[in-house]
Amino acid sequence: MTALQDTVLVLLVLSSFALLGASRLGACIRFVALQGIVTGLLPIAVSGHGPTPRVAVIGATVILIKGFFFPHLLTRAMREAQTRRELQPFVGYVTSLAFGVLALIGSFWLDSRLNLPIHGASDLVVPVALATMIIGLFLIVSRRIAVSQVIGFLVLENGIYAFGVAIVRDVPALIELGILMDVFVAVFVMGIAIYHINREFDHIDTDRLTMLKG
Amino acid sequence: MMHTGWILPAMVLAPVLLALISLLLHSPRAILRLSAFGTLSTAALSGFAVWRVFRQGPMFAAGHWFMLDALSAYHVAVMMTVFSVASLFGISYFREETADGRFGRRQSRRYGSLWFGSLAAMMLVLVSNNLGIMWIGIEATTLLTAFLICVHVAPAALEAMWKYLLMCSVGVALAFTGTLLTAASAEHASLHGTDVLLWTNLRDAAQFLNPALLKAGFIFLVVGYGTKAGLAPMHNWLPDAHSQAPAPVSAIFSGFLLNAALYCILRFLPLVEAATGHTGWGRSILVVFGLLSVLMASAFIVTQCDVKRLLAYSSVEHIGVMTLGFGIGGLGTLAALFHMLSHSLCKTLAFCCAGRLGQVFGTHDMRRITRVLSIAPMWGAGLLGGLLVLIGSAPLALFTSEFLILKAAMDRGSYVVGGLFLVGLAVVFVAVLRRMIAMACSPAADRTSPLQTHRAESLLILTSLIAMLVLGLFWPPPLMRALAAAANILGGAL
Amino acid sequence: MKTLLLHAFMLFSGLIAAPFLLGVINRTKALFAGRKGAPLFQLYFDMAKLLRKGVTYSRTTTWIFRAAPVIGLSAVMTAMTLMPLARMSAPLSFPGDLVLFAYCLGLMRFVTVLAALDTGSSFEGMGASREVQFSALAEPVLIIAIAALVCAAGSPSLTAIFAAMTRATWQALGPALVLIVAALLVIFLVENARIPVDDPNTHLELTMIHEVMVLDYSGPDLAFILYAASLKLWVLGTLIVNIAISFLDLHGFFTPLAFTAGMLVLAVLVGIIESIMARLSLLKVPRLLMGALVLAVLAFAFIARFTS
Repeated sequence: MTALQDTVLVLLVLSSFALLGASRLGACIRFVALQGIVTGLLPIAVSGHGPTPRVAVIGATVILIKGFFFPHLLTRAMREAQTRRELQPFVGYVTSLAFGVLALIGSFWLDSRLNLPIHGASDLVVPVALATMIIGLFLIVSRRIAVSQVIGFLVLENGIYAFGVAIVRDVPALIELGILMDVFVAVFVMGIAIYHINREFDHIDTDRLTMLKG
Repeated sequence: MMHTGWILPAMVLAPVLLALISLLLHSPRAILRLSAFGTLSTAALSGFAVWRVFRQGPMFAAGHWFMLDALSAYHVAVMMTVFSVASLFGISYFREETADGRFGRRQSRRYGSLWFGSLAAMMLVLVSNNLGIMWIGIEATTLLTAFLICVHVAPAALEAMWKYLLMCSVGVALAFTGTLLTAASAEHASLHGTDVLLWTNLRDAAQFLNPALLKAGFIFLVVGYGTKAGLAPMHNWLPDAHSQAPAPVSAIFSGFLLNAALYCILRFLPLVEAATGHTGWGRSILVVFGLLSVLMASAFIVTQCDVKRLLAYSSVEHIGVMTLGFGIGGLGTLAALFHMLSHSLCKTLAFCCAGRLGQVFGTHDMRRITRVLSIAPMWGAGLLGGLLVLIGSAPLALFTSEFLILKAAMDRGSYVVGGLFLVGLAVVFVAVLRRMIAMACSPAADRTSPLQTHRAESLLILTSLIAMLVLGLFWPPPLMRALAAAANILGGAL
Repeated sequence: MKTLLLHAFMLFSGLIAAPFLLGVINRTKALFAGRKGAPLFQLYFDMAKLLRKGVTYSRTTTWIFRAAPVIGLSAVMTAMTLMPLARMSAPLSFPGDLVLFAYCLGLMRFVTVLAALDTGSSFEGMGASREVQFSALAEPVLIIAIAALVCAAGSPSLTAIFAAMTRATWQALGPALVLIVAALLVIFLVENARIPVDDPNTHLELTMIHEVMVLDYSGPDLAFILYAASLKLWVLGTLIVNIAISFLDLHGFFTPLAFTAGMLVLAVLVGIIESIMARLSLLKVPRLLMGALVLAVLAFAFIARFTS
């Protein structure tokens, strides 16, 4: 059972690194879709002897939304925006990857300091979740196209979700679905915002949104 | 005893219903009237609940998932005051825009539904006992209010909206991590399943919580909810969003959206304090963030020319003052709660007047808004009076609370904190006063005939200003009792 | 006595079979391209021809240029003595030998670079600069990957590591070992100057890395260099195949058989990779190496986590 769990976690962190190194928007969207699917598998993998119906339903919902719906939404936003497909980030890909390595090491260190209760889940859950969160934050601040910032936000959310799966058991399904709903709406709203920004500005480069300052 | 379980869910559901109704209405004028009328009736409903709470103690509903105690009841009262005043101002603010068609059916439906939607979301934050639901409410306010910023789709508004959406979503996501850590810290508190996120349970079991995890969680919470509350250095979205939104929306942003996020932090404060053995660890974090906000905001206010941005930075400053007060504790908590009420009311007034003046002058640049008292006497008086209160001039309401917070700091012997606090306030005082004198006196301006003001508008402005004066001079006993009860929950009893 | 014979046999089989691997790679590529391709033993013929020829040295070169092929060849041979084959002990084994292993390969590269600079040609200097830039990124990956293996097996010598690795290790640390193999595969391609990092067949000045450094060699010197390169391919391949076959948990006669098959599969795999991938632009190579570093660090962190 733990091998499945570890595989899922390795895929989770590898997809974050792939996002750090990917230079094309289309590839980024595919990677984040993969990460969404992996995130949805995590609660099922962690639950050990056969997932309960509740876990299965939530996992399936996560896969459906993060693995298929969001990527579809982002692809449409990308296509409508006619944006250039190269990211041209503020921070280079090699530097980004190096930062990712540091984040990974940092989260292992942090985890050894925190000693979180993980209820028999794999020892890797917490460091992987922390690293994914940090990488997500980094993606948001280091990428300039609005779509890729949304991708960063999704990575952050995936990290937090993995974190929650590890340390909190028995969260009521209502709350879990409510949280999922919120993320769903958040990405939806961001999609609409990108649509409007594209219409008003003819681009979706957030570094060129500089009218308001001071 | 009357069964009152229905009232808490009704307080959340009524605005939802009103939001749906406003999607069905056709004329912008009807929607604006509905927004005022609906807000007032929700205020009446929740006023009843608040009154009961202060008379008979906390109310619960839906298996303890909903709760209204003194702290949240006080916040509900502040919120409903802000929403009522802002919705009344909304009618006059949008009158011209309705007349020339800029505020058409589409805009007004968006405005009406989101207005009530965000009211419902904030109400959900306040009445939920479940920390998870509280988080959902905060996230919902972000998403709902985002489109209120661009009721009129324009490049600058979109830019502000994007920053607001992204920064607050990230912040609130971090706050969720904090909530998770808090839940994880209750591992040995023998709480199971659904109970673990209920605030009342966590409070009762506070001494069994794991302090290390709770501390880590609290840092996430302060940074996360602090982003939404506009604490420096996470405040960057705030001036943009406030300056681009229509004035009544800016008013509820400053008047209550920030307080709702601060309220979430406050809910966790007693838990952290109890778990760490009342060593003041959590409070000292609040002191740092509060002081930083006051100082940073004062630096930005000095160079500010846009009146709405000035008011936005002033909100950062005042949120900082409140956070500082809660951080200092004791008398400071009481003063901060009072500060919240008077700041919200006053900021609502100031934003609405500033917005109206902006329409009259066609700009928000203070260098071009001149002779306000002769051109638009009532609105000018409202703005200048509001600013006078906001900078903490002597007998007015905010002076009292700022003075009490300073006193609390000095009593505790934190002279450095008190000194820095005073420096920040002094800088703001001088900077804003300079702008105010210019706006009131400097010549130029081609328009001479004074603007006609509706009698109801004048009444609203005057009432608010008089309330500021009265609250500065004496606190009515019911208010005093309410403040004491709310402060008691935060461990700040006198 | 028996072990001595076995060790001698292991070494000689490596020394003899190594050029054959290049033949397999080239044949695979030829098949993919729809050609018949060179004979499998082409490299042996080339070396025999070169050994019979005389040498020409440029007047600007010094003894460094002449010594480099010999030093390089002996360095990689030393590395071979440290590397166990098919779970049998290596001829030379002591705690920490894996550091020597890494440094032997480092020495080989060092003398090649030095010799390239010694020619005084800016062309070769450019190749040397690229080689050093990439190896600066590749070396940490190799070291970290080996360190991860040390953690996984709990002993600091190559022989002991591969003796300790069984299917149980795979069951416990499977994902991490897969990462190590992937990282080492990238290193394998980089160190041996294969596509997608370098193209061994091209002589286009803008893209060459390894080939450009050895342009000035002729005769037996060039034979030494070609041979040393094929030995390097062999010894790094051994490292990967050793890890991979420990999953099968074989004993006795089957182990060497699986090992041989593994080496052939690896060669075919490299041939396939070279056929289906284009050479990366030089700017993207650091990203690939960084990716390999990520894999290695990840594997190391995971293994350290589980074994501590």
